[in-house]
Amino acid sequence: MSGHVKNMCPQLTISQAARTLLSLLLVAAIDSVSAGVVCRKQPCGSSLQRSLKLTKLIHKESVDLLKTYKLSQGDMSELFCQMSINNVPDPNISGLDPSERMLSIYSHCKAFLPHLKRVTEQQTDLQPPSCSLLSKLSTAHNRTNGLANQINCIYQTLFPNLPIPPEPVDGPTSVPPSQNVFQQKVYGCVVLKRFKAFLSRVTRELRTLKSQVCTRRITFADTNALF
Amino acid sequence: MQQVCIGDYGIVHICYVSPPAVAGIFPQDPALRMGSSLTATCTVSPERGLHANTMYWTMNGKRLPSSTYDLLSPNCLSVTLHHLNGSQQQSGDNLVCHSGDGHVLAGSCLYVGMPPEKPVNLTCWSRNTKDLSCKWTPGGRGETFIKTKYTLKYKLRWYGRERECEDYSTGQHYTCYIPRDLALFTPYEIWVEASNQLGTATSDVITLDILDVVTTDPPDNVHVSRVGELEDQLTVHWGSPPALKDFLFQAKYQIRYRLEDSTEWKVVDDVGNQTSCRLAGLRAGTVYFVQVRCNPVGIYGSRKAGIWSDWSHPSAASTPHSERLQSGSCEPKPGEQNSTLRRELKQFFGWVRKHAYGCSGMSIKLYDQWRVWLQKSHKTRNQVDKTDSNCYGIVVPSAGRLS
Repeated sequence: MSGHVKNMCPQLTISQAARTLLSLLLVAAIDSVSAGVVCRKQPCGSSLQRSLKLTKLIHKESVDLLKTYKLSQGDMSELFCQMSINNVPDPNISGLDPSERMLSIYSHCKAFLPHLKRVTEQQTDLQPPSCSLLSKLSTAHNRTNGLANQINCIYQTLFPNLPIPPEPVDGPTSVPPSQNVFQQKVYGCVVLKRFKAFLSRVTRELRTLKSQVCTRRITFADTNALF
Repeated sequence: MQQVCIGDYGIVHICYVSPPAVAGIFPQDPALRMGSSLTATCTVSPERGLHANTMYWTMNGKRLPSSTYDLLSPNCLSVTLHHLNGSQQQSGDNLVCHSGDGHVLAGSCLYVGMPPEKPVNLTCWSRNTKDLSCKWTPGGRGETFIKTKYTLKYKLRWYGRERECEDYSTGQHYTCYIPRDLALFTPYEIWVEASNQLGTATSDVITLDILDVVTTDPPDNVHVSRVGELEDQLTVHWGSPPALKDFLFQAKYQIRYRLEDSTEWKVVDDVGNQTSCRLAGLRAGTVYFVQVRCNPVGIYGSRKAGIWSDWSHPSAASTPHSERLQSGSCEPKPGEQNSTLRRELKQFFGWVRKHAYGCSGMSIKLYDQWRVWLQKSHKTRNQVDKTDSNCYGIVVPSAGRLS
């Protein structure tokens, strides 16, 4: 083998005690898993704060993402973004109480993911490989997936007795069938425009939830401590 | 469902009888040659209650003149475009049909370009016989205006199936990388196929044995240092690339060097297979940048040379300052006017510094000796001349002491 080739797979030696500890930790982690997500119980405020920061980041990137998308489609793309298309998730968060609203955030994140993925696939065919749009779309998808997982964990922590509905496989927000190029351009613009609007709403919502839910828990805990 | 309409001048158009949705354009996403013409039709659903004579067309946001329109039926409007230019973006030009109030009714993306020309200048090289990298240049002007795919293909000359290179992500355009599973001592046939919606083109086939196109890594640990107090020499040492040991290569090396504030490199050829070299005939008190590169030869016993490696990272060192300068400066005083006499004096003093010891023995006789020397050896005034700068072993005329 040539001397300049590096071995990228580090060799790890684990002692028996460490193996046992690792197994115990894995079991504990699996025990707290719901819907395939490993959650670590953390203070309410810091979890929501982390999600809020992530949301702000994705929202900021979604502004640039939409701008880059429009530039890549050629002139006249602003009108495309205003066309109505079925089955693209709407940006509004629904629900009356915090648990419903948090669940709505989670569901919307999950609903946007296949659409972001579809837009990425379509634009991969339409754009040159070096186009920055493609990496930005991929980043948006990954970060949104991360946000969904975080919201999932926070929800389980705050509302352990309320189950999360199973993820819809073929619901009203499923991706459209094959489209011609013009339809793809329109579809992508509508998805990203609604995605941006959704993130803006999530930012506001998480701020509200943090003050509502985490404050209430602290007050309840303080009251208990008196006894 | 489509209906054939006959427009002006008997031209046949296609209008939708039942548009797919609100409206539809025919053709959808066509690929067209630059300079050609296109007639497109926009058919609106009767339920919309729109008359086609209120509709209009835009292309990439620019409204098209109504003189190019043709009203084929109450709900079908065509547009004819001549002398099409190459597409403005790879995703296609946006040809859009609008209602009178500006709403988008339908769109079609046009791909206007050229078929690819034959790729040229296909060259390949192998790093230490392990892999194969190839690069090529698109044929013609290289701009087809539409998405064009280049596929590098290869096969063993006398047997074996055709294979495609898969890794085009080396960061440079028109390159491909084959990382493994390459046969030695057997020629490969390699070529590039270019294709887009308007046609295909294939490069000439090149035939090569991996062992004929081997390069290696640049030498590492290049060190440049002084040779004692010798003011006109530097010594260069380097390590041979580790891969040479693994593949029975020998090596030959090449050195290049330049002054710190110069862009002109001087090359020392035929360093041979030694891993050190002494540079002579240099300027005293001067910083030099030095690089070394390697060419693998003697691959598996062959005497054939390979491909030069990249140059090593530059290493630098300075020659000692001349001691003669310390015995008194012979520099012309600042503020003196530039003149032929001044220039000549400067050259004379430079010669005195090099060939005498200080200016203490200054005399008209010394000046005469300089004039004689000037006529005899014009070349030795250029201290970075190549003939004086070979590796140690070539005699450099030494400066005698003059009185």
